[in-house]
Amino acid sequence: MIKKLLSMILMCMCLCLAVPACSDDGDAILQKVDRNLNPEAFEMYRKLINLEPDGSKKEFIMYSIKKGRDRIASVFISPASEKGRATLRLGENIWLYIPNVGKPIRITSLQSVTGGIFNNADIMRLDYSAEYNCEKMEQQEGLLMLHLKAKTGSVAYDSLKMWVDDKKLLPDKIECFASSGMLIKTLYFKKITDFGNGLVRPAVVETDSPLHKGYKSIMVFVRMKKRDLPDEAFTLNFLSRVENLR
Amino acid sequence: MSKALFVLSVYVAGLVFIFLQHAFGQGEYKFDLAEIEKEIKKKPYHIGGFLEFRPVLFSLDQESAFHKLRFFDQDEGTTLEQYNFGLRLEGSYQKGIASLYFRTDSRLWYDYQGRDGDIDLQEGYLSLKPGPIFTLETGKKVVQWGKGYAFNPVAFVSRPKDPDDPAEALEGYYVVMADLIKSFGGPLKTLAFTPAILPATESINDDFGTLNHINFAAKLYFLLWDTDLDILFFTGESRTTRYGFDFAGNIKTNFEIHGELAWITDFDKKSIDSEGNLSTEESDILRCLLGIRYLTANEITFTVEYYHNGGGIDKDDAENLFRFVDHAYDTFLDTGDSVQLDKAARLSRSTLAALKPMRDYLYFRAGWKEPFDILYFTPAVTSIINLTDRSLSITPELVYSPETNLELRLRGTFLTGDKNTEYGEKQNDYKVELRIRYYFN
Repeated sequence: MIKKLLSMILMCMCLCLAVPACSDDGDAILQKVDRNLNPEAFEMYRKLINLEPDGSKKEFIMYSIKKGRDRIASVFISPASEKGRATLRLGENIWLYIPNVGKPIRITSLQSVTGGIFNNADIMRLDYSAEYNCEKMEQQEGLLMLHLKAKTGSVAYDSLKMWVDDKKLLPDKIECFASSGMLIKTLYFKKITDFGNGLVRPAVVETDSPLHKGYKSIMVFVRMKKRDLPDEAFTLNFLSRVENLR
Repeated sequence: MSKALFVLSVYVAGLVFIFLQHAFGQGEYKFDLAEIEKEIKKKPYHIGGFLEFRPVLFSLDQESAFHKLRFFDQDEGTTLEQYNFGLRLEGSYQKGIASLYFRTDSRLWYDYQGRDGDIDLQEGYLSLKPGPIFTLETGKKVVQWGKGYAFNPVAFVSRPKDPDDPAEALEGYYVVMADLIKSFGGPLKTLAFTPAILPATESINDDFGTLNHINFAAKLYFLLWDTDLDILFFTGESRTTRYGFDFAGNIKTNFEIHGELAWITDFDKKSIDSEGNLSTEESDILRCLLGIRYLTANEITFTVEYYHNGGGIDKDDAENLFRFVDHAYDTFLDTGDSVQLDKAARLSRSTLAALKPMRDYLYFRAGWKEPFDILYFTPAVTSIINLTDRSLSITPELVYSPETNLELRLRGTFLTGDKNTEYGEKQNDYKVELRIRYYFN
């Protein structure tokens, strides 16, 4: 009887081991990845570089502030043709403010304010855990691989495969898929850097896309630091003044 | 011989350099963190702007009413050229809670009338920002209210946009305005109140309306759930009292809907009889707009707006004006007397020469961002249809930015419509324009 019971317990244990880790663990890891990538409220500068197959490139510098899981505002500092253009994202709502033209207009996360492979969802990225649930987690080549599924149909990518360094809990690579299962782009996280105050994260994110062969976009993070920000900084009326927070 | 060889060597070396640069440059990038640190260093002042060269070719419709009004006593042929040179300068200076901003436009143009130019202060104001919830601004400033892309019936204290080029910066009015913002945690996410005072005198805002009066306007903004809502109000002696409401929201992330509604009291509605006499009737009118913006999976953005101008000229009145112009022109040809044509010109200036002066319009624009993997290239087509008389304009355009800070735009505008319709009676059949802008700071 005891033998039977033990063998049943053993069988159950084997079955449990065969099934990938439950999504609760994955969601908890995803939240840790989010916090390791940035504090709850912070400011940062980013340089965006678009590279074309012929070697030509275009660069943009933007200043951004983020608070909570789903509020982010950015303003272009250079080049001169883009200076002052500002974007605000509150959850799924994104607005673009063009200086002199006046009022902000609503835009979508699939569009790109810079051109190139990064779209607004990448540039105005929310916390991954705000937009995705972890459906499955597995060990692969010394990394954790999280299978993430969008919480709603309005998220830019239907699903993500995120490879995470299991010690540092930082992403190494993310593949972004459309609902059809087609690979849209791949993000590569590089150059882990100490930004101070315990914030250690990749300073470079590269992306390429099978849809745009030979093109590459790079985002370089500079001066990322924790900052207390007023809620009013994330409003349409404040959008023209985001640069004053620098 | 040696000189030719030298030139050939330089030429070949140049080609090799270009080839190697591209071959080795592919997929590589370099960045210097110290250089980026230098680039992001904030200065208290900023000066920037752009240089512009814009040649335009007009193809004239010699049978049209507006051509007869302008060229009745001269023959300029079937085409006209215009060469425009522009310099926009804008700058700012910030110290503590105070900041100054200015924007000027300098223009030089050369056309069949010779050379001319002007310099305008488009905006120039002082801002005081003691904190994120309160801002006070005074000076010449664009106050752009409303949610529409091509039309803004609720923009009570702004100059009207040009629907043919709605993204162009406007000239401001002299105002004193405040902005109070409050954020909340519930369904009402943001509440903002923006009052404005706008004086109209002989020295400032002299084209706003009746002079020597102080006017008041206000906007109350709500971000309720995920929808932008504004309630707007204007009162004063320079223009009649008006009330407005607008909204914008996303039905899906790639599908936006917006609308505006303006109720204008005691508006002087104009009508024209067959003798070319102008009469006005005072009544309350409605101006409204309903629009959508839709983005397809392959990055084509469609913008469609329906605009109703309750105070606009109706079809019969427009036909009366165009017939009167024809009659005045015939009189001029028979007698050499231009009195009737002068009267017709005055009449057209106060009615049909305004931007989109008639009752109902449909605005359509489709822009395709970076098709065929051509970065920074956007072809687009825009059409404005006068629903009242079924005439329309079609504007295909190509916008390309081959280098940082350099923007090229090539566009043609083709007008079509029957006799006695708005676009059928415009001065041009079509115009072709190249715009080259170089931005600097």
